[in-house]
Amino acid sequence: MRPLSVAASAILLAHSAFGQTYQGKELVKATLLADTYAIVPGKPCNAGLLLRMAPGWHTYWKFSGDAGLPTEIKWNLPPGWKVGEIQWPIPLKTNDPGDIQTYGYQDEVMLIQEITPPAKIDSSLVKLSAQADWLVCERICIPGSANLELELSTATSSEPKNTDLFARYRRLVPQDFPAAQTASSTWSRTGNDLHLKVTGEQIANYQTLDFFPLPQGNTVVGHPSVESRQGNEVTFKIPIESLDKNLSSMPGLIVFSKFPNGNERTAWRLGASQVAAATQPSRTSRGLLGFLFFGFIGGFILNLMPCVLPVISLKIFGFIKHAGKDRRGVFRNGVAFIAGIFVWFVGLALLLIGLKAAGHQITWAAQFTNPYFVLALSVIVLVFALDLFGVFEIALPQALMHKMLHSATREGEVGSFFQGVFATALATPCTAPFLGTAIGFSFTQSPLIILLMFVAVAAGMSAPYFLLSAQPAWMRFLPQPGPWMVNVKQFMGFLLLATLVFLIYVLGAQRGLEGAIWASCFLLIVSVACWMKGAFIVPASSAAKRMTSTVIMLALLLGSGVYLIGDKFRAAIPDLVQIQQGDWQPFTPERLQSERDQGHAVFVDFTAAWCLTCKFNEKAVLENSEVREAFQRHGVVKLKADWTNGDPTITKLLQQFGRPGVPLYVLYPGKSQEPVVFPELLTKNIILDKLETITVASR
Amino acid sequence: MKTKLIFIPLTTLAACALYASDLPPVGSAAPDFSVPDTNGKTESLSEYKGKYVVLEWFNPECPFVKKHYGSDNMQKLQAEYTDKGVIWLTIDSNAPGTEGNLSADQAKRVMNSWKTRQTALLLDPQSKVAKLYGAKNTPNMVVINPDGKIVYEGAIDSKATPNPADIPSSTNYVKNALDESLAGKPVSNAQTKPYGCSVKYNKSS
Repeated sequence: MRPLSVAASAILLAHSAFGQTYQGKELVKATLLADTYAIVPGKPCNAGLLLRMAPGWHTYWKFSGDAGLPTEIKWNLPPGWKVGEIQWPIPLKTNDPGDIQTYGYQDEVMLIQEITPPAKIDSSLVKLSAQADWLVCERICIPGSANLELELSTATSSEPKNTDLFARYRRLVPQDFPAAQTASSTWSRTGNDLHLKVTGEQIANYQTLDFFPLPQGNTVVGHPSVESRQGNEVTFKIPIESLDKNLSSMPGLIVFSKFPNGNERTAWRLGASQVAAATQPSRTSRGLLGFLFFGFIGGFILNLMPCVLPVISLKIFGFIKHAGKDRRGVFRNGVAFIAGIFVWFVGLALLLIGLKAAGHQITWAAQFTNPYFVLALSVIVLVFALDLFGVFEIALPQALMHKMLHSATREGEVGSFFQGVFATALATPCTAPFLGTAIGFSFTQSPLIILLMFVAVAAGMSAPYFLLSAQPAWMRFLPQPGPWMVNVKQFMGFLLLATLVFLIYVLGAQRGLEGAIWASCFLLIVSVACWMKGAFIVPASSAAKRMTSTVIMLALLLGSGVYLIGDKFRAAIPDLVQIQQGDWQPFTPERLQSERDQGHAVFVDFTAAWCLTCKFNEKAVLENSEVREAFQRHGVVKLKADWTNGDPTITKLLQQFGRPGVPLYVLYPGKSQEPVVFPELLTKNIILDKLETITVASR
Repeated sequence: MKTKLIFIPLTTLAACALYASDLPPVGSAAPDFSVPDTNGKTESLSEYKGKYVVLEWFNPECPFVKKHYGSDNMQKLQAEYTDKGVIWLTIDSNAPGTEGNLSADQAKRVMNSWKTRQTALLLDPQSKVAKLYGAKNTPNMVVINPDGKIVYEGAIDSKATPNPADIPSSTNYVKNALDESLAGKPVSNAQTKPYGCSVKYNKSS
């Protein structure tokens, strides 16, 4: 019954065409058309609102621009019928005096919508009506309105109608944004401007490129313009004039034409889907997920770093001990170890967020620029090594032990937890290649993203343990426990001592030879204290003996700490000569500036004594005879920026390059050229290739 | 890729430093102007310092303007707020030879026949005031507080149509901005996209 009454009301008001007249002149002729002769139940067809405008008059696009109003179509359909979105043809952009920019259509336009009839239609004749409202403007604007009707018979099959007209306007509808291999788009924001970078082969073929925005809600958009274009790449600038501080992208059309507003135009629709992906918190071209993935990979690679490897070996060893024993215990241990890793990274993230909020400069591995941190780490490494040698056993204080010691596994978990924390503390100076990018990215971000980044790194680092703990079956591939384990354990102790050698080298770089010696003296006392604990403070000794030993031990530690560290180590100063190695000159910003002013190409090596990646790059690449020869041949001035002690001027430069720490390698080719930044892991070819191209370009 | 990361902080800084929009944003000082009204008296914004001022861009030929005057909506607003001491300045910034450009006599006739209630109707045929405020539409509304700061700019209401039947169901942004300001509250919706006809600037501008 209802479809009939709707149809009846439509008959009273509607016609298939309507002419809007103004002062005796027809401005707009509106017609409703279908692309089919008859309605086939369940089969979608198309309806089009054709507007023919008098010469000089225009109607508007979905976004009308600075003035005007989009045309609206309200369908009055029987129940069960569906109508799709208007398929807006690519509009023309018009500039009026006063910098007024509008988007619309001249002469003629057809707005197509898909109509889907229900699977079953009772009557043999259907009447579909639509209320169309438009604004037509020349110098003045006149609103127009029409109630239009389509009368179609129903049939089991049909022939297409108005084919040319529908085909013509369908061609003018923008295409979807192409697949990733053909083109890509990235959004960024600076101040109140959005920047849209589009890359695609098609771009080079067109004289005129434009972005037609589709702002949402109350966003007020300025006039988009082409900011830069080169070959296959174009960047649009889209000013945002409203206070949408968090707006990071906007739907719209990328319009290609041979001439501005020319006939042969095509467009790509940058729709909600592409935009939804870009509105993630990420403001950079590689999305947030990508960076988190790099964080994860970086975390995984941390396991292979020489500074963590010994601790990791310890852990693997623990797994071996548990293998085949108690699966739940293995899993709990694994989880505790992983928890240790997470606690360290999350703690570090919170600390960095706090520091950032307090306005401090933050840098990755910055704690290594503090000699007391390095010293503390040395003590921990030494104590662990002595424990491995069997000099003494690390145990929690008796009272604590009693509370927690219901089962041996419990103690194991606590131990695992701290091993997790310890392993990660050691890992931080090894800025593995991926990690640098990922962390660098996160430092420009909000606290939440910094936290996410560190969680990703922690997840990466703990992934192998998680796998081994969750799938203890895989531990079958690990060897059976036995007395050989004691030997391995002691051997691990030597690996830790190797780490200690490296730490003392760092201390030497920070506090000179003297500082390293005083620190070593303190470490010696620490070893004696450990030995005393192992030898005398054991349950077998009498209470009095234990007491005396403890007092002597603490007195030794306190006394040597105050004298050796508080006095001697603190007063030690670094040896100044060591920076100038071979043909490298010490870096200062003034030096860099003056060399560049003289037109010299400059290569800067940002390094630190405690940075193993730096040392590796220097030995394997920068000091390689071929590379040295190439530097010489191209007359490149080599500067070394030593960040061992956290020099603030260098910190600032690192931050300018978006790096949270060393290594960083930068080549300043010539006076006016952009500096070239090299990857963190150098290869001979990267340097040689860059030197060739740059020197040619600068001449 | 890595090199790109460098430019994020740098360009952000640069963009913040260089940013200067061509229209005064909400919260900034309203630019002063002096133009004659329909009686030949020169009206300046500065003389109304200490009072709330509403600027309304006007074109009697524009269907969007007609929507609000034909329905008595604009006159009611003008009456309500001028009674509360608000200064309401209607501005005709349309260039000579364009639709909506009014001589003083024509403007008075429109005011009489429409029974408008604004404080004054300003004649700005060189579109000076419109340029100062980046006004591109009729109607375009601006609300200025007693400190001379812009507290609202944009559309008159939430339904961008020329149809007077939409007025009762739409949110009047100007009314909200004035009510909130007069009550000492911040304006909750301080900027909207204006709708309407274009201001008819001179071809050479």
